[in-house]
Amino acid sequence: MAELLQVQHLKKYFANQKAVDDISFSVEEGSIFGLLGPNGAGKTTLIRMITGIFYPDAGQITFQGKPFDPIHDVRHIGYMPEERGLYKKMKIGEHALYLAQLKGLSRSDAMRQVKIWFERLEMESWWNKKVEDLSKGMSQKLQFVSTVLHEPRLIILDEPFSGLDPVNSNLIKDEIHRLAKNGSTIIFSTHRMEQVEEICQQIILVNRGQKILDGTVNSIKQQYKQSQYRIGIPALNEAHLAEAPFELIQSKENEQIVRIADGKSSNDVLRFLIDRSIPVHSFVEILPSLNDIFIRLVEDTPVTRQFQPA
Amino acid sequence: MYKTFIIIQREYLTRVRKKTFIISTLLFPILYVGLIFGMGFLAENSKQNLNIALIDQSGYFKQVDLDRENTLDPSSKISLVTERATDVLKDPEAAGYDGFIRLPKLDWRQGSDQIFIEAKKSYGSGTTATVEAKLNRIWNRIKNDSLSIDENKQVILQASQLSVRSKNMDDASSNANIAEVIGYVAGLLIYLILLIYGSQVMMGVMEEKTNRIAEVLVSSVRPFQMMMGKIIGIGLVALTQFLLWIGFVLIVYNVSKASGESMSAATVMVGKMQQVFTGINVPLILFCFGFYFLGGFFFYSSLYAAIGSAVNEDLREAQSLSFPITMLVIISIALMSTATANPTGPIAVWASIIPFSSPIVMMARIPYGVPGTVPWWQLGLSMVMLVIGFLGTVWFAGKIYRTGILMYGKKPTWGEMLKWVFRKS
Repeated sequence: MAELLQVQHLKKYFANQKAVDDISFSVEEGSIFGLLGPNGAGKTTLIRMITGIFYPDAGQITFQGKPFDPIHDVRHIGYMPEERGLYKKMKIGEHALYLAQLKGLSRSDAMRQVKIWFERLEMESWWNKKVEDLSKGMSQKLQFVSTVLHEPRLIILDEPFSGLDPVNSNLIKDEIHRLAKNGSTIIFSTHRMEQVEEICQQIILVNRGQKILDGTVNSIKQQYKQSQYRIGIPALNEAHLAEAPFELIQSKENEQIVRIADGKSSNDVLRFLIDRSIPVHSFVEILPSLNDIFIRLVEDTPVTRQFQPA
Repeated sequence: MYKTFIIIQREYLTRVRKKTFIISTLLFPILYVGLIFGMGFLAENSKQNLNIALIDQSGYFKQVDLDRENTLDPSSKISLVTERATDVLKDPEAAGYDGFIRLPKLDWRQGSDQIFIEAKKSYGSGTTATVEAKLNRIWNRIKNDSLSIDENKQVILQASQLSVRSKNMDDASSNANIAEVIGYVAGLLIYLILLIYGSQVMMGVMEEKTNRIAEVLVSSVRPFQMMMGKIIGIGLVALTQFLLWIGFVLIVYNVSKASGESMSAATVMVGKMQQVFTGINVPLILFCFGFYFLGGFFFYSSLYAAIGSAVNEDLREAQSLSFPITMLVIISIALMSTATANPTGPIAVWASIIPFSSPIVMMARIPYGVPGTVPWWQLGLSMVMLVIGFLGTVWFAGKIYRTGILMYGKKPTWGEMLKWVFRKS
């Protein structure tokens, strides 16, 4: 697949901090890309450069194979910032039209797109309501629609699910998958790991302005796994444990969690159990959750005090 | 340009459609007319109908003369009391009078400044003046008779006066009194626009920040476009309101001209306006008003926009930060009073050239006459300076706006804001 966005050695320094310090990554067309990091890691600054709000101090952004041109390329980008709001006194239909026109759509194109999206998310009856009468979930929906209705090639969503109930979360999640299937590329910025595991194919992890992880969700888990297995066997006696090629971490009645000793393989474990006629009901490798990896990687840095895992 | 136009359109339409705009646009002229008529009405009715006893020890006054004056001006009734004068002196209200005047023995050559309306209540100068005028009319006749001045001589004495006014050698038509009024009104209007609509710009920017819509917008449009869209949109709202008012004045003018004498206050106004329209260069004044209105508005509202972008939702923060700018506007109006009193003095000249005060001060000077009072070079220099000035403030404000609009947290100081202006982008 072609790369829609390439970021090379991007830097942005503010007076008292290096907000983004030499970050490079690339996003494949049609993928759902996770941009992770604790609060204050530099995610928003990074996104602001990709959306043309900030100029980078150094580095290049390549969008659709050409150097990024903020004036023209914003037409193909939809950005839903974390700090997002709407004009309270405006009518919902007017508001959606306004934001679409600011993206460069003509009034008639904007009208057509707004109608399509309002229908899809069952919002037609809202047209003449005022924004201030909307519930939080409803205004999130309107914000989401405003972000995507100019059919952007690249959609950037910063904490899109914050404050949404499960029903609306799922609705937006489905739309994200549908948009990706239809060829849009999505960058999904968050510190909620369980959502990332569920949605994203590829991620980078940013901390203190630097990239500390890059890869697919699966490869990262493989990389950070700690040879832990969940084995469906009864509890072992002392004699067995003493000579076993693994270390017991947690013991339940019919399930043992173990870490395989260095230099041994899973087959060594199985052979050991079979040799002693211990019946094995199940044997599963435990992969670390992204949350665990995340915490492990950013734990020792001063900013982690701000970070609360979900 | 298309995007700026879309922003202008939204800023304009949302404001013009608001009830408060319609109400304030309608209410202002109604209040204004109400004030004019109401003042006239109150003035007519607030004079006390006084019933005053005149106890005359001089012997000059006769009831016939008093009766004639009483019918000419019925706001007070003065009656000569000869009998039971002591009762009146003791308690005028029991005797049926509001008060009394005790005229001492007088010589017609000297008169007296020791005459009082003595009553249980105190009366204002408006009331005593009518009584004074009445007595003086009779007193004048007494003097004339004593000096054997007949009617013809009296007419000459009254009509023959020396009156002095200012006349500009280059502007034969200029009339200082009318110019002063027009200049004052024009300057005051610009002052009001700058303060009212300037703070509207500030509130509008603050709204975008507190609503958290600013970042949504800057991902589609440049911050500078956002700022200019807002300033131009609100400026057009102000212009609309003015055009409506001017239209209203023209309608009132024409209607009351057609209806003739029926409304006394209105006809006076019409007469004054006719004088105004013939006495001054209306097209030039209107052009300059438009120019200084727009120039001043851009100059100040961009500064207000910068402040709106820098502060958070706290209105007090905005007030304290915008105080220096509001002060500039207020200083301008103070300079304007100096300029109307002496439109060619050095303060007037310089204040009408320096951009921060020129919109108000120059507008106060122009009605005195161009090129008489305001030479062409001054007008030209002032206009060029204002254009340079507002380009400067717009540039300056754009820099602050760009940074401020995405900043949350503590209120920046003026020093920090200056840093935003001069650091590289």
